Amino acid sequence: MFGLIGHLTSLEHAQSVARELGYPEYADQGLDFWCSAPPQIVDTIKVTSATGQKIEGQYVESCFLPEMLASRRIKAATRKIINAMAHAQKHGINITALGGFSSIIFENFNLQQIQQVRNVKLEFERFTTGNTHTAYILCRQVEQASKQVGIDLSTATIAVCGATGDIGSAICRWLDARTDAAELLLIARDQERLQALQAELGRGKIMGLEEALPQADIIVWVASMPKGVEIDPTVLKQPCLLIDGGYPKNLGTKVQHPGVHVLNGGIVEHSLDIDWRIMSIVNMDVPARQLFACFAESMLLEFEKLYTNFSWGRNRITVEKMDQIGQASVKHGFRPLLI
Amino acid sequence: MPQLEATPDLDFHSETYKDAYSRINAIVIEGEREAHDNYQRLAELLPDNRDNLLGLAKMENRHKKGFEACGKNLKVTPDMEFAQEFFSKLHNNFQVAAAEGKIVTCLLIQSLIIECFAIAAYNIYIPVADDFARKITEGVVKDEYLHLNFGEEWLKANFEASKAELEEANRQNLPLVWTMLNQVETDASVLAMEREALVEDFMIQYGEALSNIGFTTRDIMRMSAYGLSAA
Repeated sequence: MFGLIGHLTSLEHAQSVARELGYPEYADQGLDFWCSAPPQIVDTIKVTSATGQKIEGQYVESCFLPEMLASRRIKAATRKIINAMAHAQKHGINITALGGFSSIIFENFNLQQIQQVRNVKLEFERFTTGNTHTAYILCRQVEQASKQVGIDLSTATIAVCGATGDIGSAICRWLDARTDAAELLLIARDQERLQALQAELGRGKIMGLEEALPQADIIVWVASMPKGVEIDPTVLKQPCLLIDGGYPKNLGTKVQHPGVHVLNGGIVEHSLDIDWRIMSIVNMDVPARQLFACFAESMLLEFEKLYTNFSWGRNRITVEKMDQIGQASVKHGFRPLLI
Repeated sequence: MPQLEATPDLDFHSETYKDAYSRINAIVIEGEREAHDNYQRLAELLPDNRDNLLGLAKMENRHKKGFEACGKNLKVTPDMEFAQEFFSKLHNNFQVAAAEGKIVTCLLIQSLIIECFAIAAYNIYIPVADDFARKITEGVVKDEYLHLNFGEEWLKANFEASKAELEEANRQNLPLVWTMLNQVETDASVLAMEREALVEDFMIQYGEALSNIGFTTRDIMRMSAYGLSAA
């Protein structure tokens, strides 16, 4: 049994979903209510691999909402994640992916310190951030979508925004080791971490966002923040491939300009329909087939019976682990979303 | 990303803390006293489970003594009058149900609502308690899971016959819990216990209990949030 811990994208979204699913007690409530709401298993998922293997999973709604971060209800936000993890474990789920903000909150607020939740001792080996698969898929998107829009990697400059994060650093490692990308621009806030990454890679230019954007043929956006950023598309190269791998995804609607191709990053398509209701709720274009790569990681680990926290901690994703999850991804019928 | 605020240092001997503690401590003592009486009454109503229930009643009495010691340790006199008034409506509902032989309602009030509320409150209290009270409360909370389990097992075994009465008893009694919670919100916050964390832990525990008994997720979401928005 695999699990997915997810959440909705805003209070308004949560209210409309609750109404749609027929939970009037939750539909008309404000943020205070959601700050007290318990986690629930709201969907059962059946997935069939391209190999014919079938697995079952459960979707745990944590009741976290991004407004909790924006309005500094941090304790509530951290409780949501920890309680959802305890809920998944109590229900005997072997491997659960922390989707959306869940893994970001877990890492950012050092929630590994909180192992005892009421009468449950959290077994962290039952959870994965899903970041290895997300990073792998983003890299494959860079490689494959660049061809679609006529960008040659061997002469291309790739800007990685959020380069020092768990996913961002993994992408830099892959692009360095597995592609002939001409130039890497490393963008992040923390200078110390940037220098460490540059030293590890032995290449890459450290640059500010405004300076980097006009130079980039490909922009991989993997910074996550409660509120989106504005990118002025007129300063970008033409063509430019902008891969939005951050959470939440919000560049697509904001950046609309000829020659600028925006691709939802870290999204996979499965070759067979998945039996679930929940993805139509999280606004995927093809809800039966498309999903976040981090969610797909828990499915892959279940298919492969790899019951371990495959992606855990910060900056530990190696190219070899990306290979390993990538092979499983291909074997079971997942492919990166392309343009 | 914003930062997690640090838990404030508590002065367990300040007048403000002791004043709030005089009411919270009294509620806990009174709660355990009434639980003792309620399990004794349930033992009369369920003669087949008499020994087990009398055993639970005894444990509640031991808890009451433990919490009395916590008050003494901080040199606080519990405000028992406040606590009796605090529980009066729920207490009355239990008495009326017991007089009518409504075992399901009695179990919902004592073994589910009160036990889940106690478990939630004790779990939230433990990390912010003084050292003496923490040890006592940690011991108590382990027992309370057993008490909850008794109600769950009995109601699970009699689920179909109990379902309608459980729904009705939930409608009657859960709103009282939210009102009670509002009454102590200020005092609880002086003890660094947040209302929203209490509500969340209660809903988690109560939802789990309803699930173990046999209710669906849909029932649980409806029942465990009943009356919350009006409170």
